[in-house]
Amino acid sequence: MGKFLLRRMLWLIPVILVVSTITFVLMHAAPGGPWDRDLSARQVDPVTQKMLNEYYGLDKPLWRQFTAYLIGDTNSKGKFICGLICGNLGPSYRQRGLTIQQILFMPPEEKSIIYSRFGYSMRLGVYSLLFAILIGIPAGVLSALKQNTMTDYISLFIVTIGISVPNFVMAIFLIIIFASTLHMVNIVPRSWDEVSVWVLPAVILGFGTMARTARLTRASMLETMRQDYIRTARSKGLAERVVIVRHMIKNSLIPVVTMLGPALAGLVTGSFIIETMFGFPGMGRAYVTAIGQRDYSMIMGTTLIYAVLVALANVSVDMIYVFLDPRIRLE
Amino acid sequence: MTTQVSHPSTGQTQAHIANLTMMTVKPRSLWQDAWSRLIKNKASVIGMVVIVIFTLLAIFASVIAPHNPLQINSGKGFTPPMWIPVGPNGVPADPNFIFGTDTLGRDVLSRTLYGARVSMTVGFLPTFIIIFVGTIVGLFAGYRGGRIDNLLMRITDVVYAFPDLLFFIIVMVTLRQTPIGQMMNGLFLLFSALAVVNWVGFARIVRGQVLSLKEKEFVEAARCIGATDSRIMFRHLLPNSLGPVIILTAMSIPGMIITEAVLGYLGLGLIPSTNPKDFFITSWGASMLEGQTAINAQPWLLLLPAIAVSLVVLAFTFLGDGLRDALDPRLQGTQ
Amino acid sequence: MRSKLFVFVSLLILASFVLSACQPTAATPVVETVVIEKEGQTIVVTATPAPVVEEVETPTLRVNLGSWPDIIDPQKSSFVNEIAHLKMMYEGLTTQDAELTTVPGAAESWEYNDDATELTFTLREGLKYSDGSLLNAKRFEYSIFRNVDPATAGEYASITDDIAGAKEWRYAEDTTLPELREGLQVKALDMAGNACTDYEQVDCRILKIGLAQSAPYFHTVMSLWVTFPAKEELIAEGGDIWWTSSKFHVGNGPFVVKALEPYVRGFFEPNPNYWAGVATYNLEFRYITDSAVSFEAYKNNEFDIIGLAAEDLATVQNDATLNAEANIYPGSCTFAVMFHQLKEPFTNQKVREAFAMALDRETWVADVLKGLGSPTLTWIPKGFPGYDAEENRWGFDPAAAQAALAESGYTVNNGALLDPTGAAVDMIDTFSDTPRNRVRHEWLVAKFKDVLGVDIKLNPVESTTYTAMTKDITTAPQMFILGWCADYPDPQNWLSVYWKTGAFGERIGYSNPDLDAKLAEADSTIDPDARMVLYADAQRMLTDGAPVAFMWNNVNAYMVKPWVKGIVQTPQDAGWPGDVAPLSITIDTSMIP
Repeated sequence: MGKFLLRRMLWLIPVILVVSTITFVLMHAAPGGPWDRDLSARQVDPVTQKMLNEYYGLDKPLWRQFTAYLIGDTNSKGKFICGLICGNLGPSYRQRGLTIQQILFMPPEEKSIIYSRFGYSMRLGVYSLLFAILIGIPAGVLSALKQNTMTDYISLFIVTIGISVPNFVMAIFLIIIFASTLHMVNIVPRSWDEVSVWVLPAVILGFGTMARTARLTRASMLETMRQDYIRTARSKGLAERVVIVRHMIKNSLIPVVTMLGPALAGLVTGSFIIETMFGFPGMGRAYVTAIGQRDYSMIMGTTLIYAVLVALANVSVDMIYVFLDPRIRLE
Repeated sequence: MTTQVSHPSTGQTQAHIANLTMMTVKPRSLWQDAWSRLIKNKASVIGMVVIVIFTLLAIFASVIAPHNPLQINSGKGFTPPMWIPVGPNGVPADPNFIFGTDTLGRDVLSRTLYGARVSMTVGFLPTFIIIFVGTIVGLFAGYRGGRIDNLLMRITDVVYAFPDLLFFIIVMVTLRQTPIGQMMNGLFLLFSALAVVNWVGFARIVRGQVLSLKEKEFVEAARCIGATDSRIMFRHLLPNSLGPVIILTAMSIPGMIITEAVLGYLGLGLIPSTNPKDFFITSWGASMLEGQTAINAQPWLLLLPAIAVSLVVLAFTFLGDGLRDALDPRLQGTQ
Repeated sequence: MRSKLFVFVSLLILASFVLSACQPTAATPVVETVVIEKEGQTIVVTATPAPVVEEVETPTLRVNLGSWPDIIDPQKSSFVNEIAHLKMMYEGLTTQDAELTTVPGAAESWEYNDDATELTFTLREGLKYSDGSLLNAKRFEYSIFRNVDPATAGEYASITDDIAGAKEWRYAEDTTLPELREGLQVKALDMAGNACTDYEQVDCRILKIGLAQSAPYFHTVMSLWVTFPAKEELIAEGGDIWWTSSKFHVGNGPFVVKALEPYVRGFFEPNPNYWAGVATYNLEFRYITDSAVSFEAYKNNEFDIIGLAAEDLATVQNDATLNAEANIYPGSCTFAVMFHQLKEPFTNQKVREAFAMALDRETWVADVLKGLGSPTLTWIPKGFPGYDAEENRWGFDPAAAQAALAESGYTVNNGALLDPTGAAVDMIDTFSDTPRNRVRHEWLVAKFKDVLGVDIKLNPVESTTYTAMTKDITTAPQMFILGWCADYPDPQNWLSVYWKTGAFGERIGYSNPDLDAKLAEADSTIDPDARMVLYADAQRMLTDGAPVAFMWNNVNAYMVKPWVKGIVQTPQDAGWPGDVAPLSITIDTSMIP
């Protein structure tokens, strides 16, 4: 087991190398650069651009910028700046003065780390995953057990909404219903320390995952219910409850878990749309705006954080496989 | 990563005998059988009908649409649907426009009909590519295990490691101005990006299924009677692992449609056309985006495409459920 | 079995980690929720638990500013929302009043020498920072030096290039040479005329600025945020990220920043030491980008001031209460259809005239902008010094447009534009791709087709690609819409900064030696009236050649709750209405429901 984990973690290094190379090539191939700003105002003048490029090493050849990002390089003042291997995700070209790790992990005004952008996204991601699992799996199980009844159809209806209505549409509808009409929550949270203000964003963010979980659980349950060992378990005279929980549910969770792993990484890195609509201070906006701003380090940084999260999620999935199905073994 | 039980190949004679026995009990193919069961399922027939209708609407949009979708009617922006006398913005309804108009006074119904073309294509085409590639890769990786599994799964690790949206955006931004980016009003690039990112999900699901299935008794049994690897994979493992694949397909289609909308939001969607004779003019995603900002003025701009997407998804869910039941070999001959 | 146990335990650890990460949410209740039952309606009011002493609570003005600023550093910022923050915390030597006239700010007076090559400011007596410390001319000297210093690499560094020595320093090969720094003609002096020694010197109230050439508009430039006197020692203490903490923003503006939470809120309290008086309310900025959500929040009384989107305008106008709360007035930008002067067919003046006259600006404003804009035929917008109300050339006139096209030698055949030799010219309209721009350009090409019969292809481009493209004369598209928003209200900023050869107008290949000469003359004329006449001539000269089709001016559109009184509207308002005179705003707490 330990060896397995170690090997998977070591695998992360080539994965990160490949991911960062592809990202690096693609983003530098995109036209424009970090100093191309909103057109209706004064542009950064050429001299200043030259200074900035020198300062950030953007005037160096691309391969050198790449190695500078990964390993490090001397800056214009001759000081060596260590790169990714020291955990330095590079300077932001837009929020000048800040490094990417400061933007994502440094909380404002000396608060605790959970108030950083990563912290906020992490919390919202975990809440929405909990919502997805706690509603999705029971809904899926229930509609499989009561296939083709009213329960099944109601759950199908909700699930269809969850899959086919985009986030931005659902958000505006829920805001109009729960905030504008019923006045149950504020649209603009006075503070993110209240629990109630997390409900709407978490539900909207997790709704799609919940719907997928429910559908997949239902399908997988139906599959499992027809297996011979279920018939065997029943004929052994096991209580129906034991059959359902220990045999059916446990065995039908494999595809669900496979899907939830990467979904977790997606939820934790946040959502551009939720964050824009609720003014949520997470990191989901960071990577979308970074591309438009050609904030190269931010693009790289968020991609790599996501890559690591996905890898961690997938390792956990593999470990949960073992727990769910003893025939699967990890070497 | 998974233990590999090796089975010494049984003698050729035995295989021959097995084949002979098979032939005598096989009057219909698996697929013919599945089809006959599928068309007995009411819900999936409804699903199929809806999909066919939408496909026809998309193809013949130019004939069905009451108006030219690009016709700008000055002064008629945000007209409410015909059954509401006066909209919240004070504009009276116009019986010419059943579902009202958008910001430039263009007919919402006609635009939604034309939108079906882009959105149905965006939903279907990449999904088919993805299923094909993902299923085969997952099947091989799961079944063969060992080095092939490792290699394929590491490739999927790399693809997976990209945040989807970031990958789409960066590809679109970089290649938009190239000839590839301009093909099919930019849709070709979109398809490719969607396919590159999404096949991994299918591959992993299929692999997960195969991993648990291949240790099952019926696979052992098939091996014992000397079935070839490809036979085991395509006749035994594939149909048994299709359940989640079909579910995922039904969910992936709206996913694609919505991704197109979100990319439109970020300025990377379909390249709009100015010629009403063009095939791709607007998309449901684009209409929904426009509708979201205009929710107070003209909600139908949002509702009509949203209802259309939901119908397509529902149809696919029904069809998917039916397909899964139909393909389940354990039900063979029971219905 | 053992490995199974291990997995289970590790999962438990993971779960406990996740849970502990969530814990402080519940553990530190800083805010309490009060539910009040009123007229059958439940209103949720949240309030910070106040100390036991009962005081009259200062009301808070809640403004939705849209997007969170990328950087809040006076010498590095350049965006509207960044400046909106800076303007509350700091004040420049001069400032603007409601008529956009430059009036004294931190300086009580200023004077030019005879040929306007030297500008001398005298600071107000007893100026203080919000923490009570002294603010003398040395502080402003530092800020201007910091802005010019190439090591700062400020985005607006070029705006102070008129100062003698600034260009030399910024353009030098080795920018670290001490003589370059010494060459910058900005000096803080005491009342006797000697150089100041330090930040503690009380009678250091004179700031002398030497200019490279006559620049009688330069006192207006000194109202910009680039001169805002952030404290050197705090910038040093905070390092590169000093601007992220409110504690390092000790300023001289009407407000003091108390909290800066990225993407959540910026909170400001009145500055007790502000020379002009103390505001009667706290100010809170919020950052909701989505206009539909922000409009819902406004209707729900969660905001006092929001920006109004075009989509919601009709809904507002149809509702008497909301309509009374709408503040709609001219803005500071002019937009025009740019024609690339060096690319076919716009090399031909008659073609440019034809396209300019084919543009129905009234319908554009009604259809596309939903009334949030005003059509224009000239460059400097209404409300700005130098506006030309008489200009009426190249207005919408389909017949004249067709005639001009016929005269140009270009012909139209079945939608294709043919040049005089009969070769087809590709017509492409390029724009930055956003849902809003799509609608705009679909309208534009449809209308050109209606009037001139020419098919124009749409070419949506990702926004930064578009910026990069339009910046360069060779890659700039044949035809695109572009605007210019004033940095400061002076015709020089509209005409010389934009249309002189080598300035921004160069991207469309515009270069007119006669105009250059006229502008050079105007820029160095000291008599204000004579100056204005010269700029008026220059503006007409610009329109003579129809280089672009002037199209519309933006309007500022905000919703303001009725209990917010005393808003002073100016075209220059960008972040929120009234930021030009925040002290005149009061909140009538008795009206708040």
